[in-house]
Amino acid sequence: MMLNMKVAVYWGCKISTSQYSYELSLREVARKLGVELVDIEGASCCGDPIKGLTDLAATYLSARNMALAGVKGSKNLLVPCNRCHLQLSLAKEKMKREGIYSKVNSLLRRENLLFNEKLRLWHPVDFLHGYIGLDKIGSMVKRNLKGVRVAVHPGCGLIRPSKIGRVDESENPKKVDEILKVIGVETIDYPGKLDCCGAMLMYLNRDAALTLAGEKLKAVQDLEVDCLVDTCPNCHEMLDFNQSSASELTGEKISLPVVYLTQLIGFALGIEEGKLGFQLNRSPTEKLLKINFKRVLDGKVKG
Amino acid sequence: MKDLYTMKESNLKMKDQLREESPFPWIQYVTSCYQCQKCTSGCTSMKHLELKPHEVVKLVNMGLIDELLESETIWTCTECLKCWERCPQGAAPVNLILSLRNLAVKGKAKLPENLLKTVSSLIEIGLIQREQRVPLKNLETVDREKLNLPKLVYPSEEFKGILLSMLEEVF
Ligand code: SF4
Ligand code: SF4
Repeated sequence: MMLNMKVAVYWGCKISTSQYSYELSLREVARKLGVELVDIEGASCCGDPIKGLTDLAATYLSARNMALAGVKGSKNLLVPCNRCHLQLSLAKEKMKREGIYSKVNSLLRRENLLFNEKLRLWHPVDFLHGYIGLDKIGSMVKRNLKGVRVAVHPGCGLIRPSKIGRVDESENPKKVDEILKVIGVETIDYPGKLDCCGAMLMYLNRDAALTLAGEKLKAVQDLEVDCLVDTCPNCHEMLDFNQSSASELTGEKISLPVVYLTQLIGFALGIEEGKLGFQLNRSPTEKLLKINFKRVLDGKVKG
Repeated sequence: MKDLYTMKESNLKMKDQLREESPFPWIQYVTSCYQCQKCTSGCTSMKHLELKPHEVVKLVNMGLIDELLESETIWTCTECLKCWERCPQGAAPVNLILSLRNLAVKGKAKLPENLLKTVSSLIEIGLIQREQRVPLKNLETVDREKLNLPKLVYPSEEFKGILLSMLEEVF
């Protein structure tokens, strides 16, 4: 059964200018599941990186992107970046204050836009888990990955602060784990699961940021899992793209495949690896595909 | 009251102003902080950068705000949001730190270089960076077009004008 639905998507800066494997894999997974993604044209940065400089401008940026989604007539907006999703959610809260609302809306009107407070935000994690549903995903699995063991990095923005309502529980997030279970993957709990990758510190102190990433990677590598799974382009840049720098800086030998949740799901749904952007990951994904996955798939591909 | 190390004067009026005018409504509860240090015990930036969020809260509550605005401390938070999540009093130190940064910028604090780069990119194209060419495993580089991704549509000139005027007000 095809679901055949349309959902607006706001990619944000990081995905649309460099983290292409996330965009590729999410587009492919959505297509496979019968979801048509409608891009918001002319979208800008969400404002997150500048909220420590001028929060009003950051809120304006968020509100504008949400208003643009409204122009497309969408009631739902898919936001694949944890930081963008967090920033848009915070901006919705701040816009409840009259002073901010009127200032921001008067700026929006200059482009004939209107803030859209009813817009429901989704992240691929709750979109897959709640909107599409685990049963539906399960029914479409072509390559069951039973036997693969992974660690999940939820990322800060996905789970905190619970006060404004986040995608998953703050101290015991399990949605990503539950999605992965459906494709046969075993996830393990580990002490640093809720810890930060250091991405926002890259703006302020690169060495400290990379040290944080390196420590997280080393801890996960010691668990002897097949890979680390993340859901945010900022985290992914730290854990995948910057893995060798983090390794150098911490003096640890790190060689850990790091993949997006959507890449793994796409693989299990039978989508070809090249279309999921595995060739763009900097971490050793070839080890994952050619050895770890092959091991469990040999003789098990349903076709 | 005076800080005997730095000789800075306490300014309680500034503290009220900070609380009232902060764009982060969640800092209302900083005065409820009872210094349990739960925030600091889980702070991501504590280990390598010695950030102690409970001290930031304490200094604000004592009115020693100028001191904070001039210090590196407020530029070490990695925004992991743990302190917000875990503070039993709802004081949410991260919001206070971000408020202090906003104030420091107004007071013409020197910005970290990477943040400045981000701001100039925002002004120029509305995004934090231009479309990048990224390397494949064989070190060949590819862009969106090569990957069959739709062409990026950058935000309008009109929008950039509005953003620029907002940023000019602060910088
Ligand atoms: S956790 Fe909250 S109450 Fe405890 S010291 Fe930190 S800010 Fe104060
Ligand atoms: S948000 Fe900042 S102050 Fe709060 S725990 Fe994280 S790094 Fe520390």
